[in-house]
Amino acid sequence: MVDRRKFLKGVGVSLALPFMDSLASASTPAKPPVRLAFMYMPHGVIMDQFWPKSQEEFLNSPPPIIQSLKPIMDQCLMMKGISGVPITPFNGAPHALELSTWLTGRLPDADSRDRINISISADQIMANYVGAQTLLPSLELATMPQTWKENQEGLHEGYYNYCSFRSPTRPVPAETDPRNVLNRLFGKQGREGTVSQTNPLDRKMLDRVLGGARDLRRTLARGDQQKLDEYLDSVRSVERRIAAIETRQQEAAFEKNGVSPAKRHATDSAPIEVKIPEGDKRSEYMKVMCDLTILAFQTDTTRVSTYIGSRPNGASYPELGFSNQHHSQTHYGTDQDKISKVAAINKFNVDQYAYMVKKMHALKEGNGTLLDNCIMMWGSGLEDGHNHRRENLPFIIAGKGGGSINTGRFLPDVKGNQGDLLTTLLTCVGIPLDRPIGIATKQITEMKA
Amino acid sequence: METSCHGINTDFASSSSSNRGWSSILSAATMRHAISVKITRLLFVLLCSIAPVHAADIQNISEESLRADAKKTFKEKVGPFVEQYCKRCHGGGRAKANVNLEVDLKEPGRGVAFQHWKKAVANVKVHDMPPEDAAKQPSDEERLQFIEWIGFLKYLSPKNPGSFVMRRLTPVEYGNTLRDLYGVDPSIARQLPEEVVGEGYLNSISSMQSEIFLELANKVVEQIVAPEGKPPTAVQKRLFGEAPTEGSDPGEVVRQVAGSLARDAYRRPPTEAELDVLVDVFNLAREDGLNYNASLAMMLKAVLVSPQFLFITPSTEVPLDESIVRLDDHQLASRLSYLLWAAPPDSELSSLADKGELHKPETLRDQTERLLLHPRARALFDGFGAQWLRVNDLERQVFDPDLFPHMTTAMREAMMNEVRLFFESIVRENQRIIRFVDSDYTFLNEPLAELYGLQSSYIKGPNMLRVKLENPNRGGILGMSATLAATSFPNRTSPVRRGVWVLEQILGERVPPPPPDVPELDEQEQQSIEGLTLRQRTELHASDPVCANCHRVLDPIGFGLENFDAIGRWREKNNTGAIIDSEGNLPTGETFSTPAQLKRLLAKREADLARNLTERLMAYALGRQLEGYDEVVIDQLMSRIAEEGYRVRTMITEVIASYLFTHRQVEE
Repeated sequence: MVDRRKFLKGVGVSLALPFMDSLASASTPAKPPVRLAFMYMPHGVIMDQFWPKSQEEFLNSPPPIIQSLKPIMDQCLMMKGISGVPITPFNGAPHALELSTWLTGRLPDADSRDRINISISADQIMANYVGAQTLLPSLELATMPQTWKENQEGLHEGYYNYCSFRSPTRPVPAETDPRNVLNRLFGKQGREGTVSQTNPLDRKMLDRVLGGARDLRRTLARGDQQKLDEYLDSVRSVERRIAAIETRQQEAAFEKNGVSPAKRHATDSAPIEVKIPEGDKRSEYMKVMCDLTILAFQTDTTRVSTYIGSRPNGASYPELGFSNQHHSQTHYGTDQDKISKVAAINKFNVDQYAYMVKKMHALKEGNGTLLDNCIMMWGSGLEDGHNHRRENLPFIIAGKGGGSINTGRFLPDVKGNQGDLLTTLLTCVGIPLDRPIGIATKQITEMKA
Repeated sequence: METSCHGINTDFASSSSSNRGWSSILSAATMRHAISVKITRLLFVLLCSIAPVHAADIQNISEESLRADAKKTFKEKVGPFVEQYCKRCHGGGRAKANVNLEVDLKEPGRGVAFQHWKKAVANVKVHDMPPEDAAKQPSDEERLQFIEWIGFLKYLSPKNPGSFVMRRLTPVEYGNTLRDLYGVDPSIARQLPEEVVGEGYLNSISSMQSEIFLELANKVVEQIVAPEGKPPTAVQKRLFGEAPTEGSDPGEVVRQVAGSLARDAYRRPPTEAELDVLVDVFNLAREDGLNYNASLAMMLKAVLVSPQFLFITPSTEVPLDESIVRLDDHQLASRLSYLLWAAPPDSELSSLADKGELHKPETLRDQTERLLLHPRARALFDGFGAQWLRVNDLERQVFDPDLFPHMTTAMREAMMNEVRLFFESIVRENQRIIRFVDSDYTFLNEPLAELYGLQSSYIKGPNMLRVKLENPNRGGILGMSATLAATSFPNRTSPVRRGVWVLEQILGERVPPPPPDVPELDEQEQQSIEGLTLRQRTELHASDPVCANCHRVLDPIGFGLENFDAIGRWREKNNTGAIIDSEGNLPTGETFSTPAQLKRLLAKREADLARNLTERLMAYALGRQLEGYDEVVIDQLMSRIAEEGYRVRTMITEVIASYLFTHRQVEE
């Protein structure tokens, strides 16, 4: 077996191995868990350069935007006919809502639009079920800090920022610095390259602080109690992380004595190497975020992640040879220049996604590949940026989800909505839902294996 | 119309919570004229809100009698309107969209009902309600009246300061607090996660970011506590004092250290229970084998990750029998200090709070003055002023480097400094509020003066100097690069955004959001329309009736500023060579063709500007939107501020001395 710790040392990373498993118990490796990831691009796609016309075209000559997926089309699934959340009464807020309805499958509360009040998102529902089994309940990434400030339809400007919501009123901010992700997930790297130790005494100290906050909590109004709880929850998760590190240290001691963690297969690929790029090229930046997602899944550091590859209204793509902001090109009408620029931006985003899923397909896990045990969805919250339609949301699914998804197919006429899709995805992962997500009324059974 | 007003960042519904509509920008004459002709739907929206009751009008009317009047209005006027036009769907047993106005009539000023009325007004305004297929439609006259009646709603709200909004320290406040208490470089806070700041702060952290406060606490402790064997740092000596002598019981000393650490960090005297927690942490550390100093360091770390430190909280005690209480002096000290300095109370404020004197009106006013005159009051610009003027993103705003190579980091900094120094000078000199708009001086350094086309032998080098201006088009926030650039696209000006900016940021109007799915104005300078001015292209675009109603109000304001290019340089021609036609007009019909003339027109609207600024500052200070009774308090403040001649520092002091700032509601 490859020595993961040693391998990762090269990039200043010490490994996060699964810690909740009983260490020296079973000798047969468990079936790998199913993991789920979402990657976002705003403003829709140029439809006729995105959707294949037939199954044959899908497999053998995919349209330009999805060209880079060609080598692994048999691992992908495309379905046309999934509609987004209708946005009335917020008709003036197509962009504030494209991202925030994407994983919630519903609209914000119209009576409190100046605050965040929407719904728990699909990724966070999953985190509630499986998050306790990994170091991080969920991972939230984004390419750039959001600087967009706009209150379309009086909606809180935060609706431009978030796709993940822990509860209706608590959005989960995304991390934009790959260094932070690397350090927090895979070990803390000090300035001089030394790995600083987490102090187990901190855990006891935090425990006392939590206890002491109970008195404060009693004096607060209910809304304020929630704010405090969010902080206290985060302190608790630090406690848990410290506990995890202690467990990992024990685990290392076991391994030293010849008892190896039961969970991994000897044939599993070694954790990939992650290099933080030096420059500010968007493609490299996005690739490293993709790599971090892969590494997090590979090491079972988390089982659900979201990556806002780009947010509504702000991003530009100088690498493509033009400086226009994405949104400014999307009201293209019949302007061929704009159409070609938007198509290039679409392709650019899919390319990064393709980089990720291809890499996952090349990594071994269990009896198959890492991708076999994952569901990787790329998509947008609008069908097209020009008319803000949302009848046929563009999205691509890669990965068999542990055998739950039947890939290698293009389904040209599926009937369903975004809520249906999210509900189905979670059932494929094995999440027992007590109610459908957002506007869902059914499951998309066609996608299942 | 163009993306500038739709997809892109015009920030239409600005942070102001004002519900005042457009009325004040339209004269009665325009109104009569407009109503006499066929009113188009959107124009009607612009016309039909009521004039706010002026502060002076209410001066001598008691709140009680206003409340009685408002009740009567609801009973005798709103009631029948609801009966006639709304009841079929929103009354009796029916509550479409969860709105039952008949129920709301019983207690019209209460929370949910209040929201319903606001919604009703919005819908009736734009003719969304009653729906087109309703049996009866109110006349335009009746619509206007309905909206006017609902305007009295504020008098129905019971006297109430609202709850104290607990919030976490912002990154800036957090950094400053560490600096003031422990001499740590405030830039340590830079790694705190990005956040969305509105009225009140949405401080959310993901599970991955949750360790950040522990990490930062570790860094602070590392900086101020010397490693074993090294002599203690000065800060360490101040915080930890002398170690107890060998053999003596350290219990008492440790408790004292805990007490003084917590007093500073929690910004109030700690409770005994809070001290118990800290001493407990010390003991844990000792048991774990840490020495005396390291155990105190662990205790300090506990202080730094405590919510009492990280959050600005209401009192530690819950009064049993009162629903509205005065803020205690320690809370007041924190609220004041973080508002004006973005930092914890200094020793003078703290000792006044300890003595229980800060709340005395004279003392509070004196302290406000003292803080405002201190250089640290720049925090008020950084936190509030920059947000008000929408210049807070200038540093990161994108400009086409080919067209505007001047927008270097240094230039952006100079532009920002110009606005800041100007803002600070108006506050420091207690000038009239209107001087923000109409002024004859500014602050420039050599590169910025060059950009403005000012040749002067004495503006040399990178330092900002106060400069007397001869050119009336400059001077004031309408003629500054920072503000002019803030509304621009990367490659050109946006008259629409400038119009919205003037209406919202200066006059406090609320510009309704545009209809969805409208085509945009081309971002590019296009061959086919080369030679057309931006005005001609915009007008072409606004000839679409869907757009025209709003744009005939917004665009002419922006056109009047077209002589300033996207980064605030003066120009006579646009970049396609067409001569700029800078004729503009306000919704009142007043025309202007230079920024100087616009300044003069706006100067006549001092009361509106003052109210806008007062409302914005109040919302910022309370960390929440204004509603209900708040509007009554603002009315009262405005009359006092007017009496004092609309002085900026008077306005700030009135906000701080107000009932809303000094009181809180205990339970919701």
